[in-house]
Amino acid sequence: MLTVLLVDDDAEFTEVACTIIEFLGHEVLTAGTLEEARDWLKKETFDHVLLDFMLPDGSGAHLFNELDALPKRPRVTLITGHPSVKSVIKGLCGPTVDYLVKPIQREEIEAVLSQKKKSKEPEEAKIEKHFDLLIGESPVMKDLYKLIARVSKTSANVMLLGESGVGKEVVAAAIHRASESEGPYIATNCGAFSKELIGSELFGHEKGAFTGAVGRKEGVFEQAEGGTLFLDEITEMPIDMQPNLLRVLENKVVLRVGGTKSIPVNCRVVSATNRTMEEIAQSKVLREDIYFRLAVFPITIPPLRERKEDIPLLAKTFIAEFNKDNGSIYRWEDSQLETLQAYDWPGNVRELRHFVHRAAIMSDPEKSEIELPKTIESPFAQKQSTTPALQAGRTIEDVEKELIYATLEKVNGNKTTAAEMLGISTKTLYNRLHAYGDLSKDE
Amino acid sequence: MTSEEFSKLSVFVHDARKPLNRISMQAELVKMALNGDVAPEKAIAALDKIISSAKDCSHTLTEMTSDLGDNIAD
Repeated sequence: MLTVLLVDDDAEFTEVACTIIEFLGHEVLTAGTLEEARDWLKKETFDHVLLDFMLPDGSGAHLFNELDALPKRPRVTLITGHPSVKSVIKGLCGPTVDYLVKPIQREEIEAVLSQKKKSKEPEEAKIEKHFDLLIGESPVMKDLYKLIARVSKTSANVMLLGESGVGKEVVAAAIHRASESEGPYIATNCGAFSKELIGSELFGHEKGAFTGAVGRKEGVFEQAEGGTLFLDEITEMPIDMQPNLLRVLENKVVLRVGGTKSIPVNCRVVSATNRTMEEIAQSKVLREDIYFRLAVFPITIPPLRERKEDIPLLAKTFIAEFNKDNGSIYRWEDSQLETLQAYDWPGNVRELRHFVHRAAIMSDPEKSEIELPKTIESPFAQKQSTTPALQAGRTIEDVEKELIYATLEKVNGNKTTAAEMLGISTKTLYNRLHAYGDLSKDE
Repeated sequence: MTSEEFSKLSVFVHDARKPLNRISMQAELVKMALNGDVAPEKAIAALDKIISSAKDCSHTLTEMTSDLGDNIAD
């Protein structure tokens, strides 16, 4: 931080210039005449003086002798409205004095104060955040925005379906924001509580309801009064707790654990799960009656691989966030964004964000280039996607093995059909499987 | 052009430059407001000042042409 004295007789100019200089992190004092400037120089010490050449009571150059006499001579930048004065100043004050020619730009002030002449690159176009939260301009996301806007105007309970990392909690917050309800947004994870504690978390408890219940506690239903309650991983909720939840959803009253009084509640419930609707129906993790109460309006959030055109926008946003937090100046190359776009991102937006942050941490903080790891890998990748995009750096053997297993899975392990599909003899298929150590000798 | 005319012209140019400097400074402020660096109300105030400075500048130029035009007529 520098202490700057700005001497100029145009009050409107100095006012704006002060705002800019202060924004750049410096302290600034102003003087409108030589007289005032002399006063300040007696009272304060300055690191830098920005001095108008033409002042009402004389030329700024008159101040030079006084400045020379100071114990710590500030750096001086002369401001002039006439480009022709430049050469005069040079002759008068020697080559060590900087000068600015009006009209002045912010970057020029920045440059003289930091003594660096760096040309700032043009600012990137701002990336729009829908509902202040969601990023993406792909058709699937536009459909999603439409759904959010529609449902937020009603009080319907929403169930969000989508793979891990697609941003279910962000969408829940977006619904809350779009609804403009007065109550708060409360989020809780149904998978994070033990069977014993989930009742108390959801419905609250009275003092002494159980060992350790030292005080009364409001449940999340009460906390979200008039707002939105987000229940994440709803399918992880113990099935025998679900009748209690059903009662709250149907009657709109909660009974605290150990309590006797019914408390009316009024909030929208947004629930989320990473299972598909079919899985929910088959696996019996959610009671049917609860499902229909919660999923009045089901919304499926698309995985990142179905909206690859949004990857550059997201990557740019994440790197901008990182730059802001760390004062770095990283920028993507177009080729890097293409690499990111080629990958399938089984961990979705969350994986992309962590990948971007990891790459930024690994890069040289002095430079603007981001060093991408040679391959993008995730321990969950193989499990999630059976047909991952081909990527340079993998061996043919590797890809062949994966293809064989994927084919076998598709035909339920029928090796004759699999061999036919793969275009190899059954014998070759057996040989391969032997080589992978997947078949016993006698098979 | 006589030296008297030239110094007169210089005064007008100086007067016309002043609002231009203000406009350019206020424009920087608007940029900062759009970036979220300063309060958005400042942008509105700055834009009002830009408009009034533009009028000032235009006024000075009108004055200059009529003043110098008078001289030609003489």
